[in-house]
Amino acid sequence: MKIIILGAGQVGTTVAQNLAREANDITVVDHNGDLLREMQDRLDIRTVQGQASHPQILLQAGAEDADMIIAVTNSDETNMVACQAAWTLFHTPTKIARVRAPEYLKHPALFSQNALPIDVLISPEQLVTDYILRLIEHPGALQVLDFAGGLVRLVAVRAYYGGPLVGHELRDLNDHLKSGEARVAAIYRKGQAIEPHGDTVVEPDDEVFFLAATQNIPAVMRELRRAEKPFRRLIFAGGGNIGRRLAAALERRYRVKVIEQNPECAASAAEQLRDTIVLCGDAADEDLLREENIEDSDVFCAITNDDEVNILSAMLAKRLGARKVMALINRAAYVDLVQSGNVDIAISPQHATIGSLLTHVRRGDVVMVHSLRRGAAEAIEAVAHGKPGDSKVVGRMIEDIRLPEGASIGAIVRGDTVIMAHHDTVIESEDHVILFLMNKRKIEEVERLFQVSWSYL
Amino acid sequence: MLDQGILEPGGIRLDDPSPSKKRVLERAAQILSRGNGDMGVAIFERLLERERLGSTGLGGGVALPHARMPGLSQSRAGFLRLARPVDFDSVDGKPVDLVFALLVPEDATEEHLKLLAELARLFHGQSLREELRKAGVEQAYKLLTESSNHDAA
Repeated sequence: MKIIILGAGQVGTTVAQNLAREANDITVVDHNGDLLREMQDRLDIRTVQGQASHPQILLQAGAEDADMIIAVTNSDETNMVACQAAWTLFHTPTKIARVRAPEYLKHPALFSQNALPIDVLISPEQLVTDYILRLIEHPGALQVLDFAGGLVRLVAVRAYYGGPLVGHELRDLNDHLKSGEARVAAIYRKGQAIEPHGDTVVEPDDEVFFLAATQNIPAVMRELRRAEKPFRRLIFAGGGNIGRRLAAALERRYRVKVIEQNPECAASAAEQLRDTIVLCGDAADEDLLREENIEDSDVFCAITNDDEVNILSAMLAKRLGARKVMALINRAAYVDLVQSGNVDIAISPQHATIGSLLTHVRRGDVVMVHSLRRGAAEAIEAVAHGKPGDSKVVGRMIEDIRLPEGASIGAIVRGDTVIMAHHDTVIESEDHVILFLMNKRKIEEVERLFQVSWSYL
Repeated sequence: MLDQGILEPGGIRLDDPSPSKKRVLERAAQILSRGNGDMGVAIFERLLERERLGSTGLGGGVALPHARMPGLSQSRAGFLRLARPVDFDSVDGKPVDLVFALLVPEDATEEHLKLLAELARLFHGQSLREELRKAGVEQAYKLLTESSNHDAA
């Protein structure tokens, strides 16, 4: 695919890295020539220097032939105007824009083919907020990802010594579960992927990804792990957009405190939030954390716009006895460092964003992509179309579908019904099929499977 | 094999310079719109939508982009011969230089499926492909409209 990326910042760079690996034809536009040169040294891309929304620059970047434009400059306005120019002047088929300001996002009517022609709006703050909300809903989960509009979830948990998961063959798993079925999609042992088979035995400390119908997940998790008490007391460090959204969504069901350093920001947050206690202070201040009974808190989640503050305050909170600590981290290098240390969960906005972008790059009718393990693995929701004659999946039993090595089908959503995959389940047209792919290099084979043949009408 | 009126001589463009799949589809939509600009954009979007589900490149340098079109009462076709082959994400991975675009009514029937299958069968024949690659407009029109008896022979 020919793709133009506007903006060579954090997200633009991450996206370019991911897409350049996949034999796409990428052009990156930015006004900063140094950033572009640095990128060009590392990646097989073309670059154009200039103002990203100017038609002449878009033309130079190849807009006449581009299949997709991804507008992720720092400016919402530039991103929106660039999409408008791309559509009006070049009929660019797919237009994706990052828009951050809630003032725009509040009005969905702004974003339609007749208004601002943006096919996909990416709001990293909303993505991060949803991501954290799901983690808080499922104590003990390292990662919780939605499929089929939330009907199915993929959950990562760590297996504990003495837990029901450890020491048993996977084939016994569903016998253990009284609460409904679950499928183990992947196991990571000391960072290495293990393909799960019926006779695979889970070891302590394994990271286990399983799929289940969303309503069954709390029960499945209770059975897989030591009973983990639900969270009650939450502390958020950072009262910006993300902190406020989280507090507003959670304040009725949890006891929520927000710590914000900027007095004005703290005051306006306090005004917006009804049942949340907003404190003005430094989240990395030991005395403040002790005063707020950090040792009794279930979750300490640092989401300021400063990576260092987030990491340090989360580490401090952990040392002072917070049960689970999370930190929002923008720099990819930090994410890797921290995940192996004292922070329970490192949250990367780039990572959350890349999945929604990849969804639109994938061939075939792919409606959801979650990038996992720093992009090495991928979980995909693809829709099957056609008749047996023009589809490689419709009308076939799962065991007869020629999946590449390391790929597995975990569940199917047919209408509103979740069907856990069995070897003899037959795929029907319009089924949403949820797959796990351990090795992203095999993605093309999966894409081919779900593409209809030329004869599909 | 093509019914009267599906393909007009004006619907044939030879040595079209479109350098990418996107522009080929844009050009095909323009031809199929028969001069109606707004409709051209709508057709382009339908062709794209179909192409997203899987390429219509059927191999041997041939693509049959097609779509159902709301409000259309009779099928329409257009033919493009490209000056330079473009990547079309075809089954055989080969670039495409012969593009036969087809638009059918929204409630397309068995008859339309047969038409598509017939076109594919036709283009599978190497002789027709070779003749189309050398033909002028008139001859191309003849080949495409009268080739039912010409066949894949």
